[in-house]
Amino acid sequence: MEINNQSSGERKLQCNDVTRCFQLLESILDGDLGENGKEVLKEKLDKCQPCFEHFHLEQAIREVLKTKCTKQPVPTELADSIRQMIQESK
Amino acid sequence: MSEVQRRKYTQEERTAIFDGEFMPHIDSMYNFAFRLTFDEDDAKDLVQDTYMKAFRFINSFEQGTNAKAWLFRILKNSFINEYRKKSKQPAKVDYQEVETFYNSDDVDYQSTTDLRAESVKDMLGDEISNALNALAVDFRTVIILADLEGFTYEEMAKILDIPIGTVRSRLHRARNLLKDKLKGYAQSMGYNTDEEEE
Repeated sequence: MEINNQSSGERKLQCNDVTRCFQLLESILDGDLGENGKEVLKEKLDKCQPCFEHFHLEQAIREVLKTKCTKQPVPTELADSIRQMIQESK
Repeated sequence: MSEVQRRKYTQEERTAIFDGEFMPHIDSMYNFAFRLTFDEDDAKDLVQDTYMKAFRFINSFEQGTNAKAWLFRILKNSFINEYRKKSKQPAKVDYQEVETFYNSDDVDYQSTTDLRAESVKDMLGDEISNALNALAVDFRTVIILADLEGFTYEEMAKILDIPIGTVRSRLHRARNLLKDKLKGYAQSMGYNTDEEEE
């Protein structure tokens, strides 16, 4: 995503409506707004430093959760034992 | 997920749905169960129970709808009804109490956290997992569903039987709690963990 290239000097340092903005940003990150979110997002990230930082932190958290959480290997016999239980119940 | 009974599936259709639409989710199901129970045997039992129920009530599954969400809902209900009581990990928060607390959907959105995106990105899988596992089960659940399994707000609302607004606010609270834990890690170490990977 090309949102890193603006100088932060152009962004306002205070967000006027943190609640609405952050809620919006989080909905966008969670994919709840679809395409509608894209334009709003660019506007926020270009113009508002707190929004910019919040967005990147929230994005990083989602990313590490998705990619780094340790996965538990499924016991090999589980699928077979389920099939067998189903078979027996028929 | 209506309870309306559709026409009954034939034996062949049931087998096809079970093998084609239910079984491929066994990996996600087991991991969800393990993250709820923290115990391999409990997780196995929970997944087994869920699949048995899924087979028994297969006629209430509508083909073409999201099988994974349907299965997750059964698993979550089984967990609440059966496992939570006997789970070795006592529930940290009373469900009812938590619900009333949640049901105000007003949430504080503040830019107070001094946690940086960069330090989050540097964290190890174990730190992330530990932080997640340290959350109370209801908070942990929404993060698992949203971030690990990629469910939408709408799907989560159905799985958890709560309104979408509650999904959104609970998820926000859960991530804030997670941020607090991660902030603790970020402060306590400069990312040189001496622990050996087994």
